[in-house]
Amino acid sequence: MTLWKPDPKLDLVLERVVDVPRELVWAAWTTPEHIVHWFAPKPWTTTGCKIDLRPGGIFNFTMRSPEGKDFPNAGCVLEVVPQERLVWTDALLAGYRPSEKPFFTAVIALEKQGKGTRYTATAIHRDAAGRKQHEEMGFHEGWGQCLDQLVAYSRKM
Amino acid sequence: MIALSESAKPIDDVFRALSDPTRRHVLERLSKSPASVSELAEPFDMALPSFVQHMGILENCGLVHSRKAGRVRTYQLVPKRLKLAEDWLGRQRTLWERRLDQLDTYLITLKEK
Repeated sequence: MTLWKPDPKLDLVLERVVDVPRELVWAAWTTPEHIVHWFAPKPWTTTGCKIDLRPGGIFNFTMRSPEGKDFPNAGCVLEVVPQERLVWTDALLAGYRPSEKPFFTAVIALEKQGKGTRYTATAIHRDAAGRKQHEEMGFHEGWGQCLDQLVAYSRKM
Repeated sequence: MIALSESAKPIDDVFRALSDPTRRHVLERLSKSPASVSELAEPFDMALPSFVQHMGILENCGLVHSRKAGRVRTYQLVPKRLKLAEDWLGRQRTLWERRLDQLDTYLITLKEK
């Protein structure tokens, strides 16, 4: 049963199928030690991450720009269904305290598919401007390097 | 703006060169190793002059480079040129797509451990 309804005008929905067991995908989305490895689009880095995996728990991460400037993001976990669904938002802080700049809610849904996993990442925004801003964030930063890494990696496969 | 229009030209040529299946096939073949014209032409049912024309388009836009030794002309890929196209495509990707690309790469390395 899903309460949220993605609106293509407002939200970003990305669906992927990876040949990786669901437990690993869940771990990568919910543990700071894993998140720091992939969450920031290179050459940005994730320098810190704190997660208390329960409704009301903290969901914070800090991204560092290539110039060395830190951008902290503070959020709150809303829903945790192990191996299935994680919902968090930056509209609230830990302990459900309303935040200063609500921007998006993220829903990560995982499904088993054969030996692999289908996952859907949805970023829910307040309005179309929010969606556009999110889509364009980091757009011109470091894309080349990231793609190089991806291409280099895919050649090894 | 002048710089922009100047730099737009090589990428136009690259995409034009990539718009043809024969030329794409040749690039795929050359990504494995350099090859002579006759080796490259072999899989195609095409008159040699037409094929040589395709090679000329690839060479003019800088995607391949050729050297003649005796009577044999050997072609090789110039990966730097192809990167122009890659980079352009890369710029069209969203933050989240890039993020998830990284996640997928990371997951595969996790799985292999």
